[in-house]
Amino acid sequence: MERVVGIDLGTTNSLVAVLDGAAPRVLPDPDTGARLLPSAVAFLPGDEVRVGAAARALAFERPFDTILSVKRFMGLGLEHVSEEDRRRYRFVEGSEGVVRFLVAGRQVTAPEVSAYVLRELKRWAEAALGEPVAKAVITVPAYFNDSQRQATKDAGRLAGLQVLRLVNEPTAASLAYGLNERPEGTIAVYDLGGGTFDVSILKLRGGVFEVLATNGDTRLGGDDLDARLADLLLAELPETLRSHPQIHAQVLALAERAKRALSEAARTQVELATPDGRRISRAITREEFETLVRDLVERTGHPCRQALKDAGLEPSDVDEVVAVGGSTRVPLVRRYMHELFGRPALAGVDPDEVVALGAGIQAGILTGGRRDMLLLDVIPLSLGIETMGGVFTRIIDRNVTIPVSHTEHFTTAVDNQTSVDVHVLQGERELAADNRSLARFSIPIEPLPAGVPRLECTFLIDANGILCVTASDLRSGRERTVEVKPSYGLTDEEIERMLEESFDHAEDDVQRRQLLEARVDANTILHATGTSLARHADRLDPGEGDRIRAAMDALAEARDGNDHIRIRELYDALSTVTEPFAQRIMDSALHDAMVDRSLEEL
Amino acid sequence: MMRVETRDRECWHCSRRTGLELVCLHCEAPQPLPAATDFFTVLGLPRRLGVDRQDLDDRYHSASRAIHPDRHQTAGERDRALSLAASAAVNRAYRTLRDPVARGRYWLELHGSPLGDRNNQVPAALAALVFETQEQLEALRSSGRAAAERQQVEGVRGELDERVRALTADLDARYAAWDAGDPRAPEVLAELKRRLSEIAYLTTLLDDVEETLAGREHT
Repeated sequence: MERVVGIDLGTTNSLVAVLDGAAPRVLPDPDTGARLLPSAVAFLPGDEVRVGAAARALAFERPFDTILSVKRFMGLGLEHVSEEDRRRYRFVEGSEGVVRFLVAGRQVTAPEVSAYVLRELKRWAEAALGEPVAKAVITVPAYFNDSQRQATKDAGRLAGLQVLRLVNEPTAASLAYGLNERPEGTIAVYDLGGGTFDVSILKLRGGVFEVLATNGDTRLGGDDLDARLADLLLAELPETLRSHPQIHAQVLALAERAKRALSEAARTQVELATPDGRRISRAITREEFETLVRDLVERTGHPCRQALKDAGLEPSDVDEVVAVGGSTRVPLVRRYMHELFGRPALAGVDPDEVVALGAGIQAGILTGGRRDMLLLDVIPLSLGIETMGGVFTRIIDRNVTIPVSHTEHFTTAVDNQTSVDVHVLQGERELAADNRSLARFSIPIEPLPAGVPRLECTFLIDANGILCVTASDLRSGRERTVEVKPSYGLTDEEIERMLEESFDHAEDDVQRRQLLEARVDANTILHATGTSLARHADRLDPGEGDRIRAAMDALAEARDGNDHIRIRELYDALSTVTEPFAQRIMDSALHDAMVDRSLEEL
Repeated sequence: MMRVETRDRECWHCSRRTGLELVCLHCEAPQPLPAATDFFTVLGLPRRLGVDRQDLDDRYHSASRAIHPDRHQTAGERDRALSLAASAAVNRAYRTLRDPVARGRYWLELHGSPLGDRNNQVPAALAALVFETQEQLEALRSSGRAAAERQQVEGVRGELDERVRALTADLDARYAAWDAGDPRAPEVLAELKRRLSEIAYLTTLLDDVEETLAGREHT
């Protein structure tokens, strides 16, 4: 039988694993032997894309074009993107629905970015197995909503993978922990990943892993701990350097390294090498770090208590606690877990690999390799529809075992209505507007007097936690097609188009894209140069301002034309002319930094 | 194992004769659930009010092992669609039957006497308690959430909690007694309805109390 791989598509790192006999193993990069693929994708001009470590290395140089935590954006709209993220990346403004990044002059959606990561893992797996790989199990945070799950499935499809199952990360981890050797018991899985937090309470019996309740926070992870530490370091720098995207990216990487160091040692020294070769040094103690992040770590408490409550259990009912995700290496996190559940967490399986290994086992379960085990998972958030007056009417409660279905009956309110529109949402709040909109479904009906049509609508949540709506006309007994308009997702047509585009690059398509990219790059440099001129006019040499403005005018004129080569030439000309000016701004910012620093040391 | 009736039918997939199990005895293809299959039949249980929890859990696990979509992932499209529908039915049946209150309500529905979604009428036995609770909630609101009033309401919450627990715990004994006679008898259904109404009313009241204590009530 064809091999099915298990993929942990993580916020920070991704891995691929496969079941070999009864045990799973991680498949490494065929070139370097690395087991973790950084979930980073860098877009370069001319359609060049780099993935993994090569992309992450570009984050300093091309911070806007290098997407580091794309998982945070899966299934979201622009209105859900934080201020911090809006400073970090560029987005297509004013677009509705799914969020679109602007990278190296092109627009990409989160599923497209994730697809690059998946394609790279597919390549690793194919090299290791020596055969084509076309099917996968992909893990998602347990607390992901329908849109986020659908976006993950779309990413798989765009990468040429048939996604046989989306499996929840904490559940996958519990499979890998060899807990099935334990005949019976209750386990809590605490999963603090790079960008998301999940907690799941499971009951184990005779090889059946039954999730009793799950909870979490899809906007809380190790990245947030890094950001706190980075803020501390950035505060040492003057304003001019702080807002500099390249410096920001560099400080973030240093903060991440310091966090790791502080898991092993009580004190670490951070050395920041500035672009002009000078060094800034600062010591951080574990105590200082813990004070900085304590409130973030404690934010995991509420989801844990809620999950226990929903499962009808007390902390003392938990037999084992499993720690998943690199951030559970932080001693403060370990202590807090102990406090929450009254027992230390199990150690043994690498917290970075455990989810991928579990995905590998689930792939084996699906293909009959492990018939002794079965997963019964739940829907993490209640599902409902908008009813009169903007009220959220719950139709499927959270923590109900999936698959699950619910049937509703609808009729019409006005004569000759030709369709019934249903707005589906997910969340726990009373008002529709306070919950996350998933999709609008439109079901066509024959025009009849109000109240006469009888429509039966079935809402089915499959084993992936994804909703499917079917409808039938009870008067005629005929099935009705349901037209789905996802609120923050890609339509089938969009995916088809993206797939086609990735297959054939017709010559004029390439031309058109090159022109669009050149125009966007031109706009970027024009905007940046304009801002610098206004802000640092005092640093211009005599005549320099006029030369820069002339180059800007020439580029602006070319941008409005159709010759992308001409735009590129004038773009380069403008960069050359502004180079000394940019260098002076950078130098003076660094100088200020050193002055501040020495004053502080006095 | 799952057989409750002896009537045979033909498997849509291998055309051999198979029973009323969720999957074919021979080829393991998921079988369509007959229309109007009740929750007891789905899990192979006799139609009785009383349910042995261990037996129910065992049946749920073996039904899940047979029918869950994970077991039919590599099969054809029809297999997968049938497994999905049957698996949803198994989950729903288990969820309803494992909880004595939900099971009782389902029993009333099954016998043409549903409880209904809203019980606006205060059950006679609860009138005094309900009145007292409403008064104390009002006192808490008008006092601007003073500590003393808060303590009073917390006391009432404990009392309500205890009452619901006692009524629910009592259901199991009642079910056994009714099953010994005729659990479909009109007087049994009436008594069951009365008890379930009380529980439903108290549960709603308890929600109000929780909301008020948390300061989330909507006026």
